[in-house]
Amino acid sequence: MLLTIYILLSVLCFICFSAYKAWKYATMPIHSRLDLYPVPKEADRAEYGGSYYEELEWWSKPRKVSHINEIKDMLMEMLFIKKLFENQRKLWWASYSFHLGIYFLFAWTILLVISIAWPVIFVQYITTAIGIIGFILASVGNVVLLMHRLLESDLKKYTTPQEYFNLILILAVLLSGIYAWSSNVAQVSQTVGQLISFQALDVGTALTVHLVLLGLMFFYIPLSKMNHYVGKYFTFHKVLWENDPNLPGSKVEKDLQEAASHPPKTKWAAPHISAPHIKEGSDLNA
Amino acid sequence: MRKSADLQPKDINLPADKLVEIDSLKTLPSPYDQEGMEPEFTEPKDTWKTKYCTSLDGFVGLDTMTRPSSPEEEDEFVRKFISGLEKVFADSNNNFLQPIKLTMDYCAKCNTCSEACHIFEASNQNELYRPIFRSEILRRIYKKHFTTSGKLLGNFVGADVDINWESIARLGELAYRCNLCRRCAQTCPLGLDNALMAREIRKIFSQEMGIAPAPLHAKGSMLQLQTGSSTGITKAALLDTLEFIEEDIEEKTGRKIKIPVDKKGADILLTHNAGEFMAWPENPAAFAILFEEAGLDWTLSSSMIGYDNVNYGIWYDDTQAKKVAMQQFQAAKELGVRRIVIGECGHAHKAAAVSADRMTYGDGKVPVESCLPLLWDLVKTKRLKFDPVKNNFPVTLHDPCNYVRQMGIVQPQRDILKAICPQFREMTPHGVNNYCCGGGSGFAIMQSLNFAEFRNKVSSRKKFEQIISAFGDDFVNPDIVKYVCAPCSNCKGTIRDMLEFYEATAKFNVHYGGLVELMVNALVTLDQPFLTFEDEEF
Repeated sequence: MLLTIYILLSVLCFICFSAYKAWKYATMPIHSRLDLYPVPKEADRAEYGGSYYEELEWWSKPRKVSHINEIKDMLMEMLFIKKLFENQRKLWWASYSFHLGIYFLFAWTILLVISIAWPVIFVQYITTAIGIIGFILASVGNVVLLMHRLLESDLKKYTTPQEYFNLILILAVLLSGIYAWSSNVAQVSQTVGQLISFQALDVGTALTVHLVLLGLMFFYIPLSKMNHYVGKYFTFHKVLWENDPNLPGSKVEKDLQEAASHPPKTKWAAPHISAPHIKEGSDLNA
Repeated sequence: MRKSADLQPKDINLPADKLVEIDSLKTLPSPYDQEGMEPEFTEPKDTWKTKYCTSLDGFVGLDTMTRPSSPEEEDEFVRKFISGLEKVFADSNNNFLQPIKLTMDYCAKCNTCSEACHIFEASNQNELYRPIFRSEILRRIYKKHFTTSGKLLGNFVGADVDINWESIARLGELAYRCNLCRRCAQTCPLGLDNALMAREIRKIFSQEMGIAPAPLHAKGSMLQLQTGSSTGITKAALLDTLEFIEEDIEEKTGRKIKIPVDKKGADILLTHNAGEFMAWPENPAAFAILFEEAGLDWTLSSSMIGYDNVNYGIWYDDTQAKKVAMQQFQAAKELGVRRIVIGECGHAHKAAAVSADRMTYGDGKVPVESCLPLLWDLVKTKRLKFDPVKNNFPVTLHDPCNYVRQMGIVQPQRDILKAICPQFREMTPHGVNNYCCGGGSGFAIMQSLNFAEFRNKVSSRKKFEQIISAFGDDFVNPDIVKYVCAPCSNCKGTIRDMLEFYEATAKFNVHYGGLVELMVNALVTLDQPFLTFEDEEF
């Protein structure tokens, strides 16, 4: 029963810690603009990197925003790791194999739950196939990424022991999973069934080792930089693609007013900072 | 000294006269692939070595950072740096907290950014200039001093950079080996921004330690706040200069134009980089000719800072940036204009339209727009008539990073050039994928000690390569006038110095200038050419 609690708790922690990280980023104060083009939501201008600033008297014209473009670009990045594909193909093969494998394993987990509720042979075959593909892609990608880091000096010199540990931890989860599940495929559904019905797990040593490692990984990922699935949303949507102008009555203006009501308590120390000169910021409104 | 290929972040602390040597540079296209076509590097003077930090790569950008004279001074230097680093992640830095935290937290060290950096490429991939090299040093110092994992696990999490005067001073110098062009950020699969890391290091030095390059701070933003302009031009000097420009317009075009100054309630407040008045008066003159012929309701301002749209603070100091930007809005409000139109200055575009966009709100603001859509509108609507034959020579366009990659103003300037220059050709790559001129983020005006040598040979190298390639076979033909259109004062200054350094004007008849000069040159109503390439002076 301890193992059931451990696994369920690790999944819960994974979700909660990830959500907490997202909440921390989401509640940070409004920042200065750092838009970088192309910005996909710029409708018909996105293709060449243009923006509303190309419009004469842009503030008096309705903005043409394409959320479809933005979603399309986001999906290309999520599903295909487009930037790496375009800018560093050599690493993309390994990285994409690794990430695609993880997506497959995520889908496998969902399908396992479905196949318990809907025990159709076709669904079970699909589930097994997706699981096998996921394990192979993720493991191969992981090993190739590890080899890149170990063998290429420009990667090796920046890679910390922790970053090797991250890859090795996931590899250990994958390899122990392959070993444990492949020796008894039927046990997969049984174990998942026991987990979701909160029963004690009936597993051998190999599977116990795999599940302990899996739980450790779920606890650890949101606490490490491997939680970039959270950060990546903010880097693109809230920094590089966030070009909403501060116009009267806009949400940006409201956020700035809110931020102005909490002036910073920490001050910079260089002598010129506090030198009196002119009225600043919103004081100009006075 | 380390070989570039062996250099690691923790080596920033290494005792050495120079951390690395720039031992090779990327070969330029013909004819600059021949021996003797460019001046060699010079060694820093011995007196500089004892006074400044020349121990990074031999160049000095931080000309106000001098070596400590006692252990106490060294300790104080280190203490202030650590204090500043802490403030980068505190409420004192709310304006950049989210972006900097994201970049600090998530770098995968995949080096995708490296290939995008023109300085890394120009230096034949010298490790010192790899975009993540400086970021990783800052990240490791931060981990060591401010994170639980760094304190408990040390080297395991990469908290392995020791600090003293030398390593911090080198890091400060290294922040001035990046043009902040943000081309690297475009390629990052995680959307991280190494240029922002460089800028935050600059901020720690300026806002906490009181150290910034004199051309940017003491002779830059401070001078601007004291006199009204970073050039030192006062109101009286401005009015004299405008008179001189009016006389020159008359001499050159036969037109009597009275440049409007402080016209209350005008539609447009046109602002220039004040460097134009001194170095390239033909640029404000060309604006005046176009605006008058188009019958626009416009004015210049003569009030404090209203006549100088530069804002060097955006490169190194948020507080200076805000002080300058607010004064510029104030100038517009006092005149009661409907909009501010920014002339041909890239960083002024970004400073006023983007960086200052969230510095104030409501009545504190005046709408800001680029001159480029306005100029294109004058062409498109045929409010001005042009004869492209007058510009029948090869023209290429440099895209200033600040308003192209960082504002998305890509098309209007191209549409204008296509309409008025029959031999217009693009650089490769161009638009938002352009390369920086090498003068971005202050390099254009940082002339102290040997810094210009770094700019001309390293940071501008890629742009020079692009210019040579854009003109193709025409480049080497001295009988063909060639024009690099750089609608930005700092880019123009950099390209001026580059063409002089490589003797490209003298040997190959390559010239540079703004966009409005080409427009005026093609005006149907003008009898004489506005551009005379025999004499660079207006």
